[in-house]
Formats: sequence, structure tokens, C-alpha cells
Amino acid sequence: MDTILNQKDIDRVDGVQKVTGSAKYSFEYDFPGMVYGVLATSNITKGTISALDTKAAENAPGVLAVITHLNCPELPGYKTTPEQEKLAATKKGYKVFADNIIRFNGQPIAVVVADTFERATYAASLIKASYNKENFNTDFEEAIKSGTPLEGNNFKEYVRGEANAWKNAPVKIEATYTMPIEVHNPMEIHGITVVWEGPDKVTLYEKTQALSNTQQNIMRDFGLKKEDVRIITQFIGGAFGSAFNTWPHSMAALIAGRKVQKPIKLMLTRNQMFTLVGYRPQAIQKLSIGATQEGKLVGITHEATAMTGSYNEFTEGIVNGSRSLYNCPNVNTTYKVFPLDLSQPTWMRGPGETTGAFALESALDEMAYALKMDPIEFRIKNYAETDLERKKPYSSKYLKECYELGAEKIKWNERNHEPRSMREGDWLIGYGTGSGIFSAWRGAAKAVAKLFPDGTLILQSGVTDMGPGTATAMTNLAAETMGLSHTKISFELGDTNLPPGPLQGGSGTTSTLGTAVFNACENMKKRLAELVKDNPVFHTEIVHNVTVEDLVFENGYMTLKTDKTKKISYADVLKNAKLGVLEISEDSKANPMLNHSAFSYSVHFVKVKVHSKTGVIKIERAVTAVDAGKIINEKTAESQIIGAVVGGIGMSLMEEGVIDHRYGRWVNNNFADYHVAVNADVPNVEVLFVDKPDPVLNPIGAKGMGEVGIVGFAAAVCNAIFHATGKRIREIPVTPDKLI
Amino acid sequence: MINFEYSRTSSVKAALDVLAKNPNASFIAGGTNLVDLMKRGVTAPQRLIDINNLPLKQIEEIPAGLSIGALAINSEVAENDLVKKNFPLLSMALAAGASPQLRNMATVGGNMMQRTRCTYFYDTAMPCNKRQPGTGCGALKGFNRMHAIFGASDKCIAVHPSDMCVALAALDATVTISNSKGERKIPFTDFHRLPGETPEKDNTLQKGEIITGVTTPKNSFNKNYYLKIRDRASYAFALVSVAAALEVSGDTIKKVRLAMGGVAHKPWRLTEAEKFLVGKTPTTENFQQAAELAMKGAKGYGHNNFKLKMVPIAIVEALSKASASA
Amino acid sequence: MDNQNQQDSRRDFLKKSTALAALTISSTALVRAGQHDEKIASLFEKVDLHIEVNGVAHKLSVEPRTTLLDLLREQLHLTGTKKGCDYGQCGACTVHVDGKRINSCLSLAVTNEGKKITTIEGLGNEDNLHPMQEAFIKQDGFQCGYCTPGQIMSAIACIKEGHANSREEIQEFMSGNICRCGAYPNIVDAVMEVKKGGQSS
Repeated sequence: MDTILNQKDIDRVDGVQKVTGSAKYSFEYDFPGMVYGVLATSNITKGTISALDTKAAENAPGVLAVITHLNCPELPGYKTTPEQEKLAATKKGYKVFADNIIRFNGQPIAVVVADTFERATYAASLIKASYNKENFNTDFEEAIKSGTPLEGNNFKEYVRGEANAWKNAPVKIEATYTMPIEVHNPMEIHGITVVWEGPDKVTLYEKTQALSNTQQNIMRDFGLKKEDVRIITQFIGGAFGSAFNTWPHSMAALIAGRKVQKPIKLMLTRNQMFTLVGYRPQAIQKLSIGATQEGKLVGITHEATAMTGSYNEFTEGIVNGSRSLYNCPNVNTTYKVFPLDLSQPTWMRGPGETTGAFALESALDEMAYALKMDPIEFRIKNYAETDLERKKPYSSKYLKECYELGAEKIKWNERNHEPRSMREGDWLIGYGTGSGIFSAWRGAAKAVAKLFPDGTLILQSGVTDMGPGTATAMTNLAAETMGLSHTKISFELGDTNLPPGPLQGGSGTTSTLGTAVFNACENMKKRLAELVKDNPVFHTEIVHNVTVEDLVFENGYMTLKTDKTKKISYADVLKNAKLGVLEISEDSKANPMLNHSAFSYSVHFVKVKVHSKTGVIKIERAVTAVDAGKIINEKTAESQIIGAVVGGIGMSLMEEGVIDHRYGRWVNNNFADYHVAVNADVPNVEVLFVDKPDPVLNPIGAKGMGEVGIVGFAAAVCNAIFHATGKRIREIPVTPDKLI
Repeated sequence: MINFEYSRTSSVKAALDVLAKNPNASFIAGGTNLVDLMKRGVTAPQRLIDINNLPLKQIEEIPAGLSIGALAINSEVAENDLVKKNFPLLSMALAAGASPQLRNMATVGGNMMQRTRCTYFYDTAMPCNKRQPGTGCGALKGFNRMHAIFGASDKCIAVHPSDMCVALAALDATVTISNSKGERKIPFTDFHRLPGETPEKDNTLQKGEIITGVTTPKNSFNKNYYLKIRDRASYAFALVSVAAALEVSGDTIKKVRLAMGGVAHKPWRLTEAEKFLVGKTPTTENFQQAAELAMKGAKGYGHNNFKLKMVPIAIVEALSKASASA
Repeated sequence: MDNQNQQDSRRDFLKKSTALAALTISSTALVRAGQHDEKIASLFEKVDLHIEVNGVAHKLSVEPRTTLLDLLREQLHLTGTKKGCDYGQCGACTVHVDGKRINSCLSLAVTNEGKKITTIEGLGNEDNLHPMQEAFIKQDGFQCGYCTPGQIMSAIACIKEGHANSREEIQEFMSGNICRCGAYPNIVDAVMEVKKGGQSS
């Protein structure tokens, strides 16, 4: 229950700001003359706007402007090139107010600007539109029946060995798994503050996981120079993938702010969070697995079907895990995506893998039962020692250790394999497991380290932090590398004026940025060593010209390895050299990983209680063991895994986006109807780290962990429910009505 | 939200006077439902009459039982020692509703007046006879997982969302209503109504009236349980809920009250089941027979068909839990 | 309480004022006739409001439709109180009114006349954190920090109400505050720690 405290456990560096309310999120900046933008949205699903009546809104008190497709200024980025014209509709994308076409229900048709939030909100309700309606389809199952899937390179079948080899295996299972749309729903509603200085220079406070990309998008759409687009993102109130894109509402605020030339802020409503900032696509997946009587996998066939919006081809690696998680000679996967008249999906925590692992890991459990074999034993029997898909060794893989750690913690060996065999009063008890895999990688990033004569160190990089604690981890890393107390270090982020950092996502931030920070610190130490090379302090009989190898860097001092009495503080080095600052700029390259495959792994163990009569489900225990390489800060790392597990609880038991296909309109676009887990749903999640460095991916040994913590969890819950009740639920979320 | 006029009042009479002069006014107390509905454009009163200062906050013992003012706060009623001791069912139902913050705002009268959570009612771009008579019922052939299986009409299949009201219906409470002529009292079970042809009317409160309080008669129920089945462990509306109060003496059920939430346009009393159980022993078999009787006339509309199975289970479970309670 | 009369007289004045002088019908009927003409609705006077926020008395004039949440955030610039849903479904906007936790997004500002409001900014500052703020940092009871002010306000109330006697009870009574980063177990740890250590208010 208590976390083990060690030097890796520094508190969050931005904790005080967050607990005192002084942390400023994108909608919370204030400037003189601030005005408010509010969106009006379509209530039809497909067609064209034939007429717009904006008079009442324009005449409403406090209204400064109403912008629609009729009066939206021509933007450089809105001009379509002849090549773009030729693209398929699903590749064209959509630009707010660029035309009168309605592509989904809830699409913005106007932005109203007024002097107060209340007035803007009211005026937006006065916008009246007439439409030429067209037939539409928002029903995924209908699209599978009568629609045409997208074509192209993203949808090629993968075959290893023999396709459909499972059919000829002595033991086989076939099953179809379905999951609904899930919505990120970070607690901070997406919002933006925009401050224009004239028509060609803008500063925006934007909720983004990708500062540089957002800057590029705005430069392109408005035809602006890089130095004229500054983006500041000091805090992000969660995102989980919803803040990579530059969404229509941000463009609307930019367009409106430029027109009225006043500082403007715009925040979506919680309802609009379901249609305007992406979601995890609905998916139906068929898994077919064949094995020998002894439990060796013969063949896996994974056929996945998912959906996207009509104007944006969204694809993700749903079938990837099935190709590489197990040692199976014959694997074939197909991936079909059907366009629907809905807004576009986007990456959501553990994109693709989370969806795929729900099916794969449920099917593995079904096979284990078909074989009368313990599900963990079955997995270990088919352990992949090399990446059969890429034909490469792993940079590091401690999945086996994860199985062992987790199994021991939850006392897996006390589990009676027989379904519906364990009971406490009216409650049926079940244990289940599921594994996760997620690609580990390292991109390019820049970081600057500045050491000052007072002994403090400032690190800078234009990354943003949506919550995992990037600044904390980087501070931790720099403290360890530099031999400096973390209290002397500050990390500056969230500003395009800083050297460009990586985007925050794909579980690559720590690997990527950590490399830049680590290298900057190492180079800083080399520079410090050069500065003291002739310093008499270090002269001994053996050493005359010290090099970095002769020195130990700790507690803010350089100390001679051979004689601990000889030392000098970093501060004094700078003072002696009369340097106001020692600055190291690090431009770290991506690691192409030509000779290795790198993945993070998770294994979830779940104990559920299912009420034998009412079908009510309680997660009693959740134990998650993770191989994410070396852990930089245990405290924030543990929290990140707990958070992923909580997301997994929502996914498996309650999250379900519902659309009324008669109208193409959401029916549960709010927190009362779209349930996410509350405190009472969540047990004391137990997190275990293997904590062994990856020797190849980067110099710090860390892989990634944000995504892998949710991958496989839903299957673990469904498998536990099967163990408890004998009922195999292949459709999440598992609500009580499915168990009565 | 359109702006509106606002006035504060400090007596029932003054409140009724302002109401009489402003036909499109609404009373506001906790605001937890009304403000939400105004934000979504579901309702747009021209004036709000703030009644928070009216002296209707009592929770007190009276010779007949318990008197609760219309402005008594939900959390205070739930935590009240008298309520916990003599009317535990009410306390349990209140504690099962909403969240601690909302219970700190919501009043007893407001809870009774809260409107359905039907999504078609809330979304002004969708058809709804309750919000806009004549537009049709969006839920009838739409997404109706949360909807009624008892007493619905083809005009409306919405349910009343309250937990508190289910307990008050079970406990034979009486509603006190004031109007310009004076006071009238009606049984709690007659306060809310079934949709029939006029689903826009949630209840029998007339124009120019105000709820001033609820009285709950003394009772001899020694076994009480409020069962709420929902999609998550807390802070969610009921799929179905059951309020069960029994007086068990020796091995005999002397008296029993059963009401359900999440199944009808009003708190749904199970009178047939109650009648059956009186004089019987509290066994699972008897509970099952009672549940079967309770299901007479139940009808599913698609997504909510599971309630046809879940409701009898819930009734039996609530009765069992109540019987087993101290 | 002569508020009503005061307002009525002000309204009478309005009726006679230039904007409406030509119209001899009452403003109420006017609104009804014009359906949603807010030009007229905006002529309705703002309402005086006296509230104390974090110990500071405010005399304000607000539109009746302004929620306590928007008043705090947009007019008083106390942005520590968060908007997470605006419909009473998440708890991010939790503040204390006369010592009790409520959702400020569903509370019209004008209905808080004479009340004492405490927001996260009123608890402690960097140099003098409230024990609950300290415990949230120590137990890592947050990630992105957006729901945190609401969680902390709720957590303090949870103890004060006497609903922090077990892990299960805390979980139930902290369920009105959604945390999408999933810091729940750590939040419960923080509440238990403060409960054990006694809480100054």
C-alpha cells in the first residue's frame, strides 16, 4: 500500500502550482479587452447549408462578430491545390468554415464573438441554418454490411508462414469481439486563448501535445512566418491523444480573433468534446487461433474491422500485437476500415494496441481454457524470444519477469482454474490476466542546459506535459546525471520559443527528450572538466591534466576519483572562469533501430467479484507488472500506470459512445450518460516495475509506459469475469445487464 | 442561456404572489436540475423566484411522524439522526443519489420536481413530446436503455430519475402544497403521474402552487433496504432501484412496502406484490412470487428489455437484503 | 428583505425609460411576444450581490444567469476552480459555500447572496500549504492537475462531514469528483493521511 520511497521519488516539480490552483491552463489567461468565442453547430448529419440566418445573433447584446463559411476570410491554407482536389474524400480532411458542406452532426457552422461568455453562448443559440439534407450512415454494422472499406497501403494483408493455418490445428477457437467508440474526455475541456498583434503575428495558449506541429499547421493555414506564431502551453489538463490535432475550434478562435483584433478565448462544451476532438474508433475483430494439444500455437488469424470519418482516413495498429506478441509460426492479419458520416477519430491512449489486445488476449484465454491449461503457463509456452515479424532480436524484453512478478503478487497459484469455482457469499470470484505490448522508440529532440554561477541548472525544451510528469522526470534525470540536487534544477517547457522538443505521445517522450537532456548533461560535465583541466586543485602526483574520466560529479561538486578531498563546486568553476552562464545545446537524433525491435510490455492480473444475482461487477484487485526499461521517477511512473489501469476499468466496464443512427447524433455526450470510472470503481492498483534498462534504445535505458499500461487490461477483466461466472463476454463494456 | 429576471422572496405567500404575476416564472432552490436544463435550452423561464430563504427547511418529529420542509437539503435529511433511526430507507435512498456536492445543494422539493434524464428530452435538436408536445418520442424507437417498462405510453417512455422519491413513495408520504387558496395535501404516490397523452406534465402540481413539505407517517418497519443497480459504483442514475421496507415479526411479514425507480415515469409502487407478501414468511420463494406479480404489464422497448429480467431479480434481492438487515 | 420591492421599483423605472417608453405592455409580455429577443432581456437589471470570497468581501452586480463558477473564473479571475463539464457531472468546480462543498457550475451566482465562498486559492499558498494540499503532493494524488482543486475542496469537506472513516467510505464520498488521469487510489491515500494526522480547517 505504501510506496517505497527512494531518491527516484521526487515530488512533482509542478505540484505546488497544481494544488494551489495557480497552474494556468489554456483557457485561463486574461488580457485587457478579452472577448469570448462560442461555436454554433449543425444539427443535421450530412448535406449542405442552404441558408444561414445570423441576424439575431449579430444584433444580440455584446456581439462583436459572427463568422461562418459565408464571411470566413480566404486563408492561404484553405486553397486546395489541383493535387488535393484529386484526393479521395477520406484524404481531403476538413477545414472549419471553408465551405458549406456538413460532414457530421455537431459540425461548427459559426463562431460567435461577444464581450462575455454568457452573451456569446446565448447569441450562438440564435444562429439558424437551413440545409439541403442528404442520406447518411453513422452505423458501423450497417457499413460493414453494405459499405465499401477503404483501400490502400494501410490495408494490405499480412501473412507470416501460412495464412489461416489455425484451421488445421488440433485445437482451435474462433471468436468475434466488439467494442464501441470510446472518448478521451480529459477533465480539461479543450480551450484556447488567442492574442493577435495585427493580422500577421499571433500568440496562442493552446491545449496541444505537439507544439511544433501546431505551430506548423497555423503557419501553413494563415501563411505566417515561424517567428510570428508563438504557442504557449504551460499546463494541459489531460488529453490522452485528443490534443495532437489542430482542431476546428482552435482555427475558429484564430480566425475570429484575427477579425476582431482582440484577445479571444474559446472553450468547447463537454457535449462538443464528443464530436470535435476525436475518439477511439469502434471495432469488431475476429480472432481465430489454432494450437497443438500440448499448447503450442500453430496459427493466429486476426481480422479487424474499424471505422473512420468520411473526410479523414484514420488508421491504427489494431492487428500489430497479434503479429509479434507470441511465438507463432503462422500469422495472418487483415484490417478493414469503413468511413462513416461521423467526425474523425484520433489516437487514444494505447492506440490500436488497446483495441487489438482486447481481442487477442481474450482469445488467448479462450484457447487456454480449450486446452485446459493455465493462461499464464500457455503464454509462457509461446514466449517470443525474437521479433518474428521484423526478424530482429529485441533490444530488451522482460515480459517473462512481468508474468512472474504479477502472478506472485496476486497469488495466481491459489486460483482454481475451473470457471465459477470460487465464491464469497453471493459474490462469484474470478481471476484473469491479459498482456500488453507497445512499441518503444526514440525520436529527435533539442534541449538546452544552462548552468549558472549560483549552482542552479535550467533545462529547456519545447515539449508539453499533459500530466505524466515530463518536467519531473527530466529534472530527476538531470539531477542523477549531473550530480546535482533536484532543488537546484528547473525545467522550462511549453513554449515554441524554446528549442523544439518532441511531441508528447506514443510513449516516446521520456526516451526522446531524456536522450537530449542526458546528452546535454554529459556534455555539460565534459565542458566543466575542460574548464578545470589546469586547475591546481586537482593536481596530484599522478594526475596533471584532469579529464572528465578522472572526476566524480555529485552534490554539485566535481571530485577527483583518486582523492576525494580534492573537489570544486560547479558554481566555483563558473565563477573562476568568469562565466555568467555555461550553456550546452543538444540536438539529439532519432534512433532508427536498424538491428533491434523495441517494445514495452505489461501484464495485468485482475481479481473481480461478480454478484451472482444482480450481475454487479467490482474490481477487487488490479496488479500490473510493467517492463518499461529503466524507471526514471518511480512516483510519477506508478501514477501513470495506475491511471492507465483506471482507463482500462472504464473501457472494460462502462465506457460506450452511443449514436442514434436515425439522426446521426450522439445520445450520451456527457459525463452523466457516458460513464467513466469514479473513485468507488477503483481498487488500490498495485504496480510492479521490472526496472531494468534497455541497452539499445537510448543512453538512459527507459522505454515508454503511458500506453502499455492500458493495453490488455480490458481482456484481463473479461477473462476474470469468465473465470468468476463461466460467461464469456465478448462485447465491452461489461455492464450488469450482460451478466444476468 | 437567455437572460431572465430574478427576485428573492422570504415567505411562501410572497413567493406565490410573484408567481401569480409572472406566469412564466420558475421557483429556484438548489438549482441542480433547473440550471442544467436552462443551460441546455430545455427550459427558459422569464423569471426565477429564489425561494431559498423561505422557512421550509425543517426536519422534525411531529405526532404523525416526520415533517420535512420542501427546502430541507438532501444531505441533511440523509444524515439526520431522526431520519436514520426511524426512516432508514429514506436515508439510504438519498445517500444513493447523485454526489455529495449535489446532495448538499438539492432540496427535497427540488428533488421531487426534477425532470427526466432522457437524452431526447435534453437535446433540443431531437424530438421529445415532454419538452415539445407533438414532436414525437425520440426514445420509443431510439436508444432507450434507461427507459420505462411500466406505465409508459407511445407518447413518452421516460423515467423519473429520483432515488429519494422512490423511498417516499414506499413510505406512504404525503405532500403538502400551498396555493393562493391555502393548503392541500396529496399522497406522495399521486404527486408524480404517468405520461399518458400529456407527458409534458411530470406531476400534478398546478399552476400557482408550491410544494411546502412532505410528511412521512410513523412506521413499524424493522427491515429496510434500498437497492440501486447502476452502471458504475457511484454517481450514476439507476438502471433499476428497489425500496423495500418490511415489518417482520417472528417468521411472518406483517407489513411490507415496495417501490421502484428507473422503471416508470413516476416512483413505481408494487402494491400487488405487497398484498401477496403480507402474512407470508420471508423466503426467497415468496419473494420470487411477489416479483412475478410485480411484473404484470411490464413491457420492454428494445435496449431496455434487460430490465424485464433485472427487475424481478432486483426485487428479490432487495427483499432478501432487507430481511437480512438488523 | 425588501429586495423584491426594490427590484420591482427598478423595473418600473425601466418600463418608463426610453427604450421601452413607446411600448405600453409589460416587459414580461414583451419577452414572450418577441420570444428570444435578448435586447430586451438585457435591459433587465443586473442584480446586486454581496459575497465573501476567500475572506474578501465583494459587492458585485451580476447577470442572474451567471453561474458562481463563471463569476469566480471570468470576473474574479480565480481560475483555480475548474470547469470540467458545466453540468454538475464531474466535480471539478467544487467550492465551499458556508463551509459546505457544492458544484459551483450549477449554482447561480445570485443565489449566493450573503454567503462565504472558499475556493482553492483560499486554502493555502506556496509557502503555507493546507495539509490536504501537502498530502496530495506527497501521495501524488493527481497527474494533469485539472480536477485537483475540486478534489482537494471535496477531500477537506469529506473529512469535515465525517465521511472519511474507511477507505471504502472515502471512495464513496469522493466519487463526485472525476479524475480522468485516474489518481483515485492516491487521492484516497491523501485523505487517509490527513484524516490520521488530524486536520486544521
